[in-house]
Amino acid sequence: MKVSLKWLNEYVEVPTDIKAFCDKLDLTGTGVEGVETLGAAFDHVVTAKVLKKEHHPDSDHMWVCSVDVGGLNVDKEGNPEPLQIVCGAQNFNEGDHIVTAMVGAELPGDVKIKKSKLRGVASFGMNCSARELGLSGDHDGIMILPEDAPVGVPFAEYAGLTDTVLDLEITPNRPDSLSIAGLAREVGAMYRRDWNDPLAEMAAKLQLDASATPVDEEVQITVEDAKRCPRYTARVIRGCKVGPSPDWMVERLAAIGQRSVNNIVDVTNYILFLFGQPLHAFDLDKLKNADGRAHIVVRAAQDGEPLTTLDGEKRTLTSDMTVISTPEQGAVALAGVMGGLDTEVTDDTVNILLEAATFEAGRTSRTSRNLGLISESSMRYERGVDDHGVEARSAAAAALIVEVAGGTVSAAAADDQGIIDVWPEPSTAAQLKFRIPRFRSMMGAQIPREFIVEILERLGCKVEDTADEDVLDVVSPTFRPDLPREIDLYEEVLRLYGMDLIPETLPGGRGRFGVRSHMEHVLDTVNRTMTASGLNETMTYSFAEPTELERLRMPVEGLGDPVELINPMNSDQSVMRQSIIPGLLRSVAHNQARGVKNIQLYEQGMVFFAHEGKKQPKERRRLAGVMAGAFGDAAWNVQPAAFDFFDGKGVVENLMRELAIPKVRYKALSAQEAPHLQPGRAAQVLSAGTVLGWVGELHPLACAAYDAQAPVVAFELDVEALAKVCRPARDYVDVPTFPAVSIDQAFVVDEDVTHERLEQCMSSAGGKLLAEVRLFDVYRDSERIGQGKKSMAYALTYRAADRTLTGEEVDKAHAKLVKKVCGATGAEVRA
Amino acid sequence: MAIVDELSALRTSTLAAIEQAADTSALEEVRVAVLGKAGTLTGYLRGMGQVAKEERAAVGKAVNEVRGAVEAALEERKRALAAKELEAAIDAAAVDVTLPGRGQQVGTRHLINAITDQISEIFLGLGYTVAQGPEVETDYYNFEALNAPADHPSRSMQDTFYVVDRSGEESAVRGESKVLLRTQTSGVQVHVMEQQKPPIYIIAPGKVYRRDVADPSHLPQFTQIEGLVVDKGISFGDLKGTLDYFCKQMFGPDRKTRFRAHYFPFTEPSAEADVSCGVCGGTGHLHDGERCRMCKGTGWLEILGCGMVDPNVLSMSGIDPEEYSGFAFGVGVERVACLKYNVPDLRMLLEGDMRFLRQF
Repeated sequence: MKVSLKWLNEYVEVPTDIKAFCDKLDLTGTGVEGVETLGAAFDHVVTAKVLKKEHHPDSDHMWVCSVDVGGLNVDKEGNPEPLQIVCGAQNFNEGDHIVTAMVGAELPGDVKIKKSKLRGVASFGMNCSARELGLSGDHDGIMILPEDAPVGVPFAEYAGLTDTVLDLEITPNRPDSLSIAGLAREVGAMYRRDWNDPLAEMAAKLQLDASATPVDEEVQITVEDAKRCPRYTARVIRGCKVGPSPDWMVERLAAIGQRSVNNIVDVTNYILFLFGQPLHAFDLDKLKNADGRAHIVVRAAQDGEPLTTLDGEKRTLTSDMTVISTPEQGAVALAGVMGGLDTEVTDDTVNILLEAATFEAGRTSRTSRNLGLISESSMRYERGVDDHGVEARSAAAAALIVEVAGGTVSAAAADDQGIIDVWPEPSTAAQLKFRIPRFRSMMGAQIPREFIVEILERLGCKVEDTADEDVLDVVSPTFRPDLPREIDLYEEVLRLYGMDLIPETLPGGRGRFGVRSHMEHVLDTVNRTMTASGLNETMTYSFAEPTELERLRMPVEGLGDPVELINPMNSDQSVMRQSIIPGLLRSVAHNQARGVKNIQLYEQGMVFFAHEGKKQPKERRRLAGVMAGAFGDAAWNVQPAAFDFFDGKGVVENLMRELAIPKVRYKALSAQEAPHLQPGRAAQVLSAGTVLGWVGELHPLACAAYDAQAPVVAFELDVEALAKVCRPARDYVDVPTFPAVSIDQAFVVDEDVTHERLEQCMSSAGGKLLAEVRLFDVYRDSERIGQGKKSMAYALTYRAADRTLTGEEVDKAHAKLVKKVCGATGAEVRA
Repeated sequence: MAIVDELSALRTSTLAAIEQAADTSALEEVRVAVLGKAGTLTGYLRGMGQVAKEERAAVGKAVNEVRGAVEAALEERKRALAAKELEAAIDAAAVDVTLPGRGQQVGTRHLINAITDQISEIFLGLGYTVAQGPEVETDYYNFEALNAPADHPSRSMQDTFYVVDRSGEESAVRGESKVLLRTQTSGVQVHVMEQQKPPIYIIAPGKVYRRDVADPSHLPQFTQIEGLVVDKGISFGDLKGTLDYFCKQMFGPDRKTRFRAHYFPFTEPSAEADVSCGVCGGTGHLHDGERCRMCKGTGWLEILGCGMVDPNVLSMSGIDPEEYSGFAFGVGVERVACLKYNVPDLRMLLEGDMRFLRQF
């Protein structure tokens, strides 16, 4: 909310040090988002006096003047020197006090004042008219100031145009601060100084016209549901003349960013900003029914009921919304949010019905959100407008209308305030106990009792002593709906006492332990292993396209549907991701497009699956990685190999080892099982029967769909599955004390015999003595070992834990192993 | 010539040969020629039988004397040659030590997660436990149980992503839902308080989502760390002390904190905490008098929101606010990252650009 300090200063003394004032506002809970100095536009515009006025030698309507601007223009010795200005105005004389724009001034309309020559005569400025200064009024000629006006003073200062406007962030709990008067009270409490509430004086100016038809004879009010509308008041002002507002009001409203509309609307805005009371002025004659009476009905809107609001928008209402209506015209205003176009005050309006009411907070908020319509009224009603004092604020508004637009305010037969007042159940103020010792211990400071009492009183609370010295009776003001509880009062006192004055302590109390969960330990190991394996952690959007998996060619796996957003930022991000891979592939493409060829990324995070009938989706934690290019470019002593399937598998193997996952297996995935992977370079990762995920080279078509250049090696693992099967530590195995015998053995097998098969045969045949099997060579040569065959060379280590093996023992065990492998797999021994 | 004279001559010639041997292999040749199985000196030892009895002692003595001298000379020469050869080998093996080494690439952590871990570590040290909650939350945990019931004006402080509710329940407001992407990690507070009795000391890091267009200073997805303490006798001073400790650990011991009153529906009193600017030292201006751009001249950087847990929140979770009090705070990790590393554009955090990631 924008606040003019000049206006605020009318009601409370505002400190002159603006920076310190802003800091204090900030610290006490009113955030300062902007500081604007008005009057800056009048730089180099000064008050002056015409010393001489002579005919221009070359023009019959221009004058060459000598203008005194005091010390604002000086000669070389520093003495004041008058300016020579050529001027075309006719309404001034020598000795007149005027306003002059000196060289360097910038006037409204982007007029820059420069040194110039007019018909051969130099001119060092311009004498200004009110219009040229952007001020209201359409007088001819330049502005003539009173004779006692000082000479050589900045015009903004002289005219009192300098103002500082603060843009304040009013938190949603403070409806009272959405008004100048409320802020004046706040500033009073901040500095512990008194403020003047202008309300009583303004309301007292109201004079009722007893000769006019009493309001209650001309207007009837029906409120169907007091919950929707706790208080509704109306009054009538007759014989107004709608027209421009006086300058002072235009100026005040302009300072806080409000455009002047006409004198009636401006008064309602003025009262809204001054007291936080939204008002609505109806054209009374447009409200009247055929019988010449206006019957206002405050009721729920009908579903589908139309209303064209003041902004010209045609709205379709729902029964959740409240309308002001008449029996014959239907809805004429959207309660608490905006008036209707048909009954608005126009230039022809003469008689006014002034509404001052309160509406249900939550419903106003809902209505405003449902229609996407936030107004100054709705902002205040949704935070809560005080139902007490409405009559005084209505009176102040009516008195002001009469002052600026003429007319008379009708009296009422049943009410000495001249209003029809429907107020079945006034709200009650909260009666609270303030326990001083509890407050002090909860804040952690010995805040003095007198301070507590003073602050609460300055904020508008009624404070009384009780029999117990430690307890105060406090009644919260009705304009502070945010103070219904004792704790709310604590906050008020604390923030105004100064949070800075509270000493810093650490919680003591009983012993406690910081514990990391099993999942966090697993994630620690994951992160350690991934980075040790050379991968770089990244983070991508949790959002995805609806067709993401199809694009990736990834099967849905029956895990669930995409989680759909109702209000996504864009269609590319309209669901929640079901795999981390698309995000990583986008990053691969991002890097490749920027000439970065070597990419090693991993990400750990949630994927989401929705299910019919379930409110919340299933969230699964996944770990995914992508590798493209190599580990760096060729260097003088290193030639990194291009990534292939086995680099991805190597990373997964490292993780399996670090997490001590038992019985890890890699099972080839077919093109049908994993269409997103390149067939023949795709494997499922299992621990015994538990599927952990997959590793493989992404299908070239999947890469192409994301503009990524193949090959891209990838893996995606389910972290919760990993956490479930992993073991806290690997088992200890004795360090061998007896020597081992190593034998290199190559088998020639058919292409379809896997390493896993050979390894299984060897370890079952080798029994306890076979300590280690290491594949050290795979060799293909159609001439030497035959088409469709491969040679698999293993280094086999034999060792006994309890003795040195003899040559015969080893030979016997090895012969048995070879025989078994050959028999089971059709392998031949390669010499 | 008498044997003794022959030995004397052999000695002279052998010592000369040893002296002349240019390398260890030439020296070995000399050794073999003299002391080997078929060596000349060995021959004399073998031929002792033929030597006349009366000469035998003298010859034997002479042979041993020659052998001793030859062995000593061999040893000495060998040492000299070995030293020379090692020196030559070392000279030949010298490299340009400024050539790059043969390293293996070590990967990097993402800046945000690294900072999250660092913050977790600080609070673990203070005896906090790490808790988790779902990213797709219900309205109840994200708002209602946090004292922001339906239509509460505080809800418009954050722009929420709503999720299609597959349970079929409808929202009172068009385009909204009772299921949403959590806008804050604060919902974890409620989950924890429902499951655990005080004393509670937890932090909950995680992703949160708000409907902001991605630009240099906004992301629709970012990271928060929630903290919650509920215990007997917890005061606002404890909140200040804890967060001041955290800021000093995170940003350095010379940094200061200040607390500004603010509003959050789930804390009362509420505050925002600032840490003093590290660029200008909290003065708001640089040495040349120019306004500090980091803190926009204020000397302070906003770092987190916090407050005393609202009694309503405690009650709703079954904790008696007359018996217990507590504080809660929420730190924006991206904010911390920006303050520590001056990241100019938050979107870089989600692009996966290797040249960015590998800096941290």
